[in-house]
Amino acid sequence: MPKPSINSDSGDNNIAFMNTTYPYMGQVFSGLIDLLYSNTFMAAQGKDALNILEQGATELRGKFTLVVEGAIPLKDNGLYTVIARTENYSLTALDAVTWLGPLAKYVVALGTCASFGGVSAARPNVTGSVGVRNVLKREVINVSGCPVNPDWFVATLAHLLLYGTPELDNLNRPTLFYGFTVHRHCQRRSYFDQGQFAEKLGDIECMFSLGCVGPRTGADCPYRQWINHVNWPVRANTLALAVPMKISLTVPHPFLRPYQKKMRLRIKNNQLFLREEQDD
Amino acid sequence: MTKKRIVFSPVTRLSGLLSVEVVEDRGIIVEAKASGTLFRGIEAIMKGRHITDAVYLTQRVCGICSLAHGAVASYLLDELYDHDISENAQYLRNIMLAADILQNHIRHFYFFSLPDYVKMPEQPPFLNQNLTDHRLSPQDNARLVEHYFRAIVASQEAHQLLTVFGGKIPNQHSYVHGGVAVAPTADKINQCLALIYSVHSFVKECLMPDTELIANVYRNCFTIGNTPGRFLSFGMFRFGPKNQYSLWRSGVLAGGQLSVPEIHLISEDITNSWYVRADGQELPSPYKPAAYSYIKSVQYAGQTYEMGPLARMVINGFYRGGTSSMDRIYARAMETLLITELVIDWLKKLVPGPPPIHQKKVPVKEHAVATTDVMRGALLHSVRLKGEQVEEYKMITPTTWNFSPKNNKGQSGPAESALTGTVIPGPDMLYTILGRIIRSFDPCINCGTHVLDAKGDVTGKMVF
Repeated sequence: MPKPSINSDSGDNNIAFMNTTYPYMGQVFSGLIDLLYSNTFMAAQGKDALNILEQGATELRGKFTLVVEGAIPLKDNGLYTVIARTENYSLTALDAVTWLGPLAKYVVALGTCASFGGVSAARPNVTGSVGVRNVLKREVINVSGCPVNPDWFVATLAHLLLYGTPELDNLNRPTLFYGFTVHRHCQRRSYFDQGQFAEKLGDIECMFSLGCVGPRTGADCPYRQWINHVNWPVRANTLALAVPMKISLTVPHPFLRPYQKKMRLRIKNNQLFLREEQDD
Repeated sequence: MTKKRIVFSPVTRLSGLLSVEVVEDRGIIVEAKASGTLFRGIEAIMKGRHITDAVYLTQRVCGICSLAHGAVASYLLDELYDHDISENAQYLRNIMLAADILQNHIRHFYFFSLPDYVKMPEQPPFLNQNLTDHRLSPQDNARLVEHYFRAIVASQEAHQLLTVFGGKIPNQHSYVHGGVAVAPTADKINQCLALIYSVHSFVKECLMPDTELIANVYRNCFTIGNTPGRFLSFGMFRFGPKNQYSLWRSGVLAGGQLSVPEIHLISEDITNSWYVRADGQELPSPYKPAAYSYIKSVQYAGQTYEMGPLARMVINGFYRGGTSSMDRIYARAMETLLITELVIDWLKKLVPGPPPIHQKKVPVKEHAVATTDVMRGALLHSVRLKGEQVEEYKMITPTTWNFSPKNNKGQSGPAESALTGTVIPGPDMLYTILGRIIRSFDPCINCGTHVLDAKGDVTGKMVF
C-alpha cells in the first residue's frame, strides 16, 4: 500500500510509530506498506524527495493512502507549516493536503492534532489550525491520540489493506479501538463503583477525584496499554487526560482538577466547549 | 556571475521541518540561511492556564524529546511549590530522562544520520537516496543496514523502559512536580534492568563500532561543519532535594575559558525571524520582509553558542577533539554508551518502595526559571504567575541556539556558520555534504519554533 505522510505537529506520532512491536517498524516497511514520502524516514532529501511526492501523486492516483500528522494552519495562507520550499514557492501543509487529499484512496488523520486540531488549535490558536476533516470534503479516518498508540495506527493501516475501511464512530474513528470508554474497562473501576477515591497521585483508588476523565475518553488503553503493552497512565498512578478526544487539549481547564469542577468551569465560561463536547 | 543561490528543501530525516538556502561561489558555500518553517505557539497556549498543566502541555512541544520538556517544567514547578525531592525520586527521574535520551540518540544515528554514509536498500522509504559519496565496502555496508533494523528494536526497548515507569511515551505521565507518581518496585527494577542490558549490548556491539567505522572511513568529515567552538551547557542529571546538583557540570566555554552560565546574559533577537513586536507582545509575522525563519536568534553575552552532546562532553572533559560534523556524531555515540552505564547504576541504587512523590498544594513563588541539558543541549523554561495562573511562559530550546538565524549584527548561529566555507567538490555532492553537516546537530525544529507571547528578557538568577 503506497503511503505518503505529511507531518506538521510535534513529531510525537512518528515517534509513536517507531515504537510499534509485532510488527516492528522494519516489518511494517518491508511487509505492510511502501512508505513513499515521509520527512522523518525517507533517505531522499531536497528536490529528490519532492520528486517522489510529485511522481507518486500522478502515477498512483486513486491508489495511495495519505497519512496526515499535525493540524493544518489556515491563517496567512497556511504559512505556519511549510513542508518544502523551492526557488519559486512554499508548499504548505494546507497546499499539500488540498492537493493530495482528493487523489488518495484513503486519508488517515494521525493523532489528535490532525484529527481535531488538538493542542495546535488550543486557545488562542494564533495559527488558525484545524483538523484535516475541516479542510477536505471527503472521508477522513481519524486515528487520534497524543500521541497515537502505535497499535491503533498500524492496525488501522492493516485493516485498510486487508479488509477495507473499518467500522467508524461518530467522530470517524475506528470503533475497534475507540468504541468503549477507558472508564468502562479501567482496572480501578471497582473503586469508583464503591465510592473509594484517591486523595493524591500515588494512591491506589479511583482518580476521578483528581481529574481523571476516563469516563469521557473513548479508547482501549486499559486493555491495550502502551509500548509493547507494558503500562498505561492509570496503571502509572496518573490520570487519563482524554487526549484522543476532540475536546481534550483544547479546553483550558486544569488537567489536575476534579472532573465535576471542570464541568462547571466549562459551563460557566464557555458555551462553545460545552457544545463541542456533546459530539464526543 | 559565479554566485549561485540554491534551495535545499526539504531537509529530511530530522524532527520538524527545515529548509536551507545557500549561496555557492566556485564550489564554496559563502552564505547559508537555515529556515525553521513550522510554528505552533505553545507558549501562548500556556497563558492563563493553571501552572500544573505545564508538565503535560509543554511535552506536546516535541515528540522525540517530550520528557525533556516534562523534566524542566517539573523542576520549574518544584521551585514554585518549594518541593523536596527524595533521592529515590531523583534516581527514577534521571533513569526516565536518560531512557528518552537513549532512544533519541540511537534513532538519530541510525534512522536520520546513517543514510548520509550508508547505501540503503532500493525500496521505500529509501528511494532516491542519491548518496554521492559512498566509501564503505559491500560487507560493511550490509552490516550497517542490518544494524538499522536492529536499532528499531533497541530504541523501542529504551522507550519501553521509560514506559514501565512513565505510563506511556511520548508524553509520559508520572514524572511530575514533587517527584514521580510510580512505585519503584522490585519487579519493575528487574524488568528495566533486563531492558537496559539489552540496550547497552546494542550500543556496545553496534552503535560504538559503527561510529568508529564511519569516522575512519569518512575521515574528511572531521574537517567539515566546524563552528567557532563556543560551547554552552546547563548541566545534566539533577540530584539533591532542590534539584541543585548536576552530575554532569554546566559551563560556558569560549576561547579556552570555562565559566558558570548566568541566565541574565542570555538574550533573544528577532531581526531575521518571522515575528514582530507590538504593544509589548510578540506575534508571528510570516510575511515579514527579509526574515527567513520561525527560529529566533539566541546569544549568550552577545555571542552565539553551540550546544548538545559535543558541548557537554567537552565541558565535562570526556572528549577532546574539534568542532566538526564527525566530532558531533562521535561525541553523541560516546555519550550514549556513558548513559547506558549510568542507567544500570541508577537502577541498582533505586530502593524498592512507595511512589516517591510529595506535592504541596499552593505555589509559594510567582516567578521561576528552570534549566537543564537534555538530548540536544541546554533547555530553559521560565514562568511568571498570577496566583496559580500562568501570566507568561517562556522556553528557550537547544535547536533555537544551534539553528539561530543571523542576529542584528549579522552573526550566524552555529549551524549556519558550520555550513559557511564548506567546499562542494561537484554539483552532485551538494545535498550529501550539506545533509551531513546539518544532521550532525540533530536539529529538532518542533522545539526550535515553539515560541511566543513574551516580552522582555529572561531574568532571574539560577544557581548551577
